[in-house]
Amino acid sequence: MKPPAPILDVRDLRVTFSGRGGRINALRGMSLQIQPGEVVGLVGESGSGKSVLGLTALGLLAAASDPQVTGSVQLDGFEMVGASPEGARQRRGTAIGAVFQDPMGSLNPVMKIGRQVAESAGGASDEEVAAMLEATGIRGPAAVARCFPHELSGGMRQRVMIAMALARHPKLIIADEPTTALDVTVQAKVLDLLATTARERGVALLLVTHDLGVAARICDRIAVAYAGRIVEQGTTEEILDGPRHPYALGLLASRPRLDGAVRGGLLPTLPGSAPDPTSSVVGCAFASRCPAADGACLTPVPEAHEDGRLVACHHPGELTTWPDRAAQVIKAAVAESAADGLAARKAGDPRTPAVVATGLVREFDGRRSGMLGRRGPALRAVGGIDLTVPAGGSVAIVGESGSGKSTLLRMIVGLLEPTEGTVRLAPGPSPQMVFQDAGASLTPWMSVGEHLAERLAAVGMPKREHAAAIDRALHAVGLPVDAAARRPAQLSGGQRQRAAIARAIVVPPPLIACDEPVSALDVSLAAQVLNLLCDLRQQLGLALLFVTHDLAAARAVADEVVVMQGGLVIERAPTDQLFTAPSHDYTRELIAAVPEAVAA
Amino acid sequence: MSAVKQPVADITTRGGAATLWRQRAASADESRTGNLVRALWPLLGVTLVVLVAPLLAPYGSTDINPAGALQAPSGAAWFGTDELSRDVFSRVLFGLRTSWLSALAVIAVGAVIGSVIGAVAGAVGGWVDAVLMRTTDLFLAMPAPVLAIAVVAALGPSLRNTLIALAVVWWPWYARIVRGEVRRMAARPHAEAARLAGVSRARLIRKHLLPGAVAPVFVTMSLDVANLVLALASLSFIGLGAPPPAAELGAMSARATTYLLDQPWVSVAPGVAVAVLALAGTVIGDRANRRIREGAAR
Amino acid sequence: MTRLFLNRALAMVAVLFGLAVAVFVLQVVIPTDPARAMVGSNAPEEVVAQARADLGYDQPIPAQFAAYLGRITRGDLQHSLHTHNPVSDDLGRFAPATIELGFYAALIAGALGLGLGLLLVGGGLVGRVARVVLVGWAAVPAFLTGMLLIVVFYSWLHVLPGSGRVDDDLLLPDGPTGLLTVDALLTGQFALLGNLISHLVLPAVTLALLPAVAIARTLHASLEQVMGEDYIRTARSKGLRERTVLLRHALRNAAGPTLTMAGLLVGLMLGGVVVVEQIFSWPGLGLYVTQSIAYSDFPAITGTTLALGAAYVVINFWVDVAQAVADPRLRSA
Ligand SMILES: Nc1ncnc2c1ncn2[C@@H]1O[C@H](COP(=O)(O)OP(=O)(O)OP(=O)(O)O)[C@@H](O)[C@H]1O
Ligand code: SF4
Ligand SMILES: [Mg+2]
Repeated sequence: MKPPAPILDVRDLRVTFSGRGGRINALRGMSLQIQPGEVVGLVGESGSGKSVLGLTALGLLAAASDPQVTGSVQLDGFEMVGASPEGARQRRGTAIGAVFQDPMGSLNPVMKIGRQVAESAGGASDEEVAAMLEATGIRGPAAVARCFPHELSGGMRQRVMIAMALARHPKLIIADEPTTALDVTVQAKVLDLLATTARERGVALLLVTHDLGVAARICDRIAVAYAGRIVEQGTTEEILDGPRHPYALGLLASRPRLDGAVRGGLLPTLPGSAPDPTSSVVGCAFASRCPAADGACLTPVPEAHEDGRLVACHHPGELTTWPDRAAQVIKAAVAESAADGLAARKAGDPRTPAVVATGLVREFDGRRSGMLGRRGPALRAVGGIDLTVPAGGSVAIVGESGSGKSTLLRMIVGLLEPTEGTVRLAPGPSPQMVFQDAGASLTPWMSVGEHLAERLAAVGMPKREHAAAIDRALHAVGLPVDAAARRPAQLSGGQRQRAAIARAIVVPPPLIACDEPVSALDVSLAAQVLNLLCDLRQQLGLALLFVTHDLAAARAVADEVVVMQGGLVIERAPTDQLFTAPSHDYTRELIAAVPEAVAA
Repeated sequence: MSAVKQPVADITTRGGAATLWRQRAASADESRTGNLVRALWPLLGVTLVVLVAPLLAPYGSTDINPAGALQAPSGAAWFGTDELSRDVFSRVLFGLRTSWLSALAVIAVGAVIGSVIGAVAGAVGGWVDAVLMRTTDLFLAMPAPVLAIAVVAALGPSLRNTLIALAVVWWPWYARIVRGEVRRMAARPHAEAARLAGVSRARLIRKHLLPGAVAPVFVTMSLDVANLVLALASLSFIGLGAPPPAAELGAMSARATTYLLDQPWVSVAPGVAVAVLALAGTVIGDRANRRIREGAAR
Repeated sequence: MTRLFLNRALAMVAVLFGLAVAVFVLQVVIPTDPARAMVGSNAPEEVVAQARADLGYDQPIPAQFAAYLGRITRGDLQHSLHTHNPVSDDLGRFAPATIELGFYAALIAGALGLGLGLLLVGGGLVGRVARVVLVGWAAVPAFLTGMLLIVVFYSWLHVLPGSGRVDDDLLLPDGPTGLLTVDALLTGQFALLGNLISHLVLPAVTLALLPAVAIARTLHASLEQVMGEDYIRTARSKGLRERTVLLRHALRNAAGPTLTMAGLLVGLMLGGVVVVEQIFSWPGLGLYVTQSIAYSDFPAITGTTLALGAAYVVINFWVDVAQAVADPRLRSA
């Protein structure tokens, strides 16, 4: 039997943009088919071209970047590449709908929800709008329709986006990172909503995400993108059971797992980075990072089919397990630098806890509205918490956004005065912090070396010893020596986080506090940074206090996990115990909501 | 896309890292200031031109051109002569110098005063910030041209008083920009990271907050040159500038409006000179704006 | 919304007070002696002293300030030194001409600015040419524009008058508002109305050009930014026409900065009005203030400053309110 015509048929799609350092190759020959009613996940790291594919299918590539497109994108039989703007416009909304990442930015802030929904439907009555909103699980749809976007929560806004995408009964919906900005439990609900509505209505769904777990939760089929091509494609089971392309294998392996199979510092990593988008690629784009690469890989890559499964590799399936810890280099560097004396400065007596906090409370004044306004009620962000981090220990604080994690952390390191309670720190250098946005935590106009020198000067190290100390710290975090001379903008995202860590450990403190240190990083980079933190902890005897919304990361690095909700600790237990036998309902809910990439 | 990606494995030799770092840090700094300087050198160029221009004038600013009064443009008097037989071309050259240098002077004074106030407000915070910024807001909420007119009229028309009046209405913009940038920088995690690193308060302000305001201030300054050339010319046109016989473009134009219908060049020429100067300022400002922004992104 | 309104109103009162203080400070620091200026430079010393006492300038500064505040809140702006009328009467006489000119200029500036701003966003060749023209235009001082318009339309083409509000041989309408075009319309004098309008064209256009350019550039810049926002991508993904996206989604979001700019431009126009009235011999406040400057008529200058300043502050108060109406996020704050 002939298979039905695909609703989306992408063949050898190449897209380039103008960029300062030459043309940027966003897609380098991507092919992908989606059948009617199918739910497909497109997974890959940042810059792999996932979003560009979606935007090309929508005919919405940014004109300002002068996109050049070759190849073919057939949307329900209509060729979008080279289509007239009017032709493409007519398909949007009717044949294809879209849900984008940032639910705040994606809705017009000055237009009422109802009007925006009605507009998507090409005009609709209030009752119809309410019905559409209700279908996405919004309670009180009539009231919501009268709201402006800023009056709704993130999850609600994303439901509104979904209602808009479905308004004209398109045959395909492209959802680009639809849940990345949402809390885990909300994320799970929104994903399930997307999948069920798509299946009920027979709409095909292309779910674009960087998170294999998210794709695994709802997709029939998963396509893995790398450097602008699909490298492997198969059913969700096939991909999770054993990817046959080395990159897919590495991606799956470097993801921290909730079952705690790999612990502190031993996460497998994908070293290196994707090819520079401005350069052209000869042979396999993954060759420089691939453990199975050989001479054959330097010639153009064929798209090898095997049993309907697509693997763009010369040696498909040859690699069955990803090497345990490819980045041995870092370990070596740390060992070496430890010998060099970095660790010699490590402070403290192993019996004194790194920090003991008792009865911490923090209230924030309510906002005052204008000159005449009354202050709103005080917000109790942290409502009385005791916390001890043993010397050299590792404690993770997990919870949803707004639960007070960061406030607690900031009180402990001394950035914020507690309203009540005390923080007792171990003697030695003051605690340091690693922030979520590494770029923003470095001063843009200062070189990495200057950042480190400043820290050294602050503890009174004589100037002539700075260079050697900086040198050691850079080695310890796996940065090349010449990184000292670079400004943050001249480093990649992963390198920036390493630089920030280098500043934190150049004078090893008894405690390092990390606020979501890897949530802005790609999976492979995140694994590297998590390993690095664990290594440093071991080598330098640091204690880690680790705030994260990512339970899998918490499991990988922490000895003990603290669960927060509404400014209070609701559960605290040794890591394994918390995950295997959670005692609180909320903890169970959190764990259940984590998107997992393991075969069922 | 200028992020330099470097594989982790690229750890090279360890010797000489220290000197390498010093050199590179220095050059990184140079490229920053270099960008500003490169964007602003045309301002210096124009300044040189207007400084040299009066030297090339065929007559002094109050000399009589023997061609006679109210002559049409000719080889003997390129832009004609005015009602007192003075050479309009020569007077325009002198007027260009006055306009341009005055504009620069007001900007310099306004930027310095405003930046100091803004920096203090942003860095100290608390009630100092509140008092300084409410005052600034008050100035911004009043109509600058009207206030400037009143100030000059009160102090008595003279070039110095005009400059004072304009500086009085101009500084608040700079105060706002600098204060805003300082607060923005202070809210970034990098300021907190610096505090945790044990950096002193003075150094925090000097090294981590204030440099962020440099580029925006320079951009605003460069964009303001044209505005000030126009503002000065308008004030001078309504009689609030240097008193006659000084060669000021606005005043020259205003005095000659009596002859506008028969000898339009006498009043149009200085007006066109103002436009040319303002255009030069606009073009330089736009360019500097673009360059500095790009530089900041790099 | 009510609270926001009250807050803004309170801020407005504070600014008006600041304006009064600023003008008072000016009065204190002026190098000339107001009493001497009033009685003339030849008057004997006793007369000057008497005048000083009459004016209250022999009182301590705080008392003077209190008296001054009392006066201006009563609308007493002292007497002009050269017309010898109360300054408030003079203002009442000259204001309608300026209001009329300003109103039409504001209309032209708004319409032209909006049109040009949208033209620029359209891009293409037209957009690019418009851009260059606008950059050039922004550099032309109002007095040059005015003179060129007079030379072309009055001197060469003889199609429009170049000075005054109305031809000398026509009788002015004796209407209720003092705004001549309105009065002419109300009294049904259409020939006169035509004459009035022909006199308005050149000065209003001159006054409007620079603000129009500024509005266009601000609108363009904020539209450009807004067009890159995610919700514009959403609007496009719904299959809306580009024009709908621009007019329905982008324009309203770009209105905020443009309105702020428009408010600031009122200040620019108040300055421009002085220049334009001088060129076109337009008998309004600008001409009044220029003459007052020539006579060193300080009461007239401060009085006009207070009046124009207050007008500016009040207009900007309404601009603030309009902005809050346009943006629901401000409204609920
Ligand atoms: N408008 C544009 N102009 C220039 N380059 C672009 C543009 N859009 C995307 N690119 C480039 O194209 C490449 C692919 O980008 P794309 O946004 O599709 O990646 P992605 O897989 O969606 O990444 P992420 O996970 O970060 O969203 C990148 O190198 C990116 O820098
Ligand atoms: S083609 Fe070669 S280099 Fe590329 S993934 Fe396959 S084995 Fe690795
Ligand atoms: Mg993307």
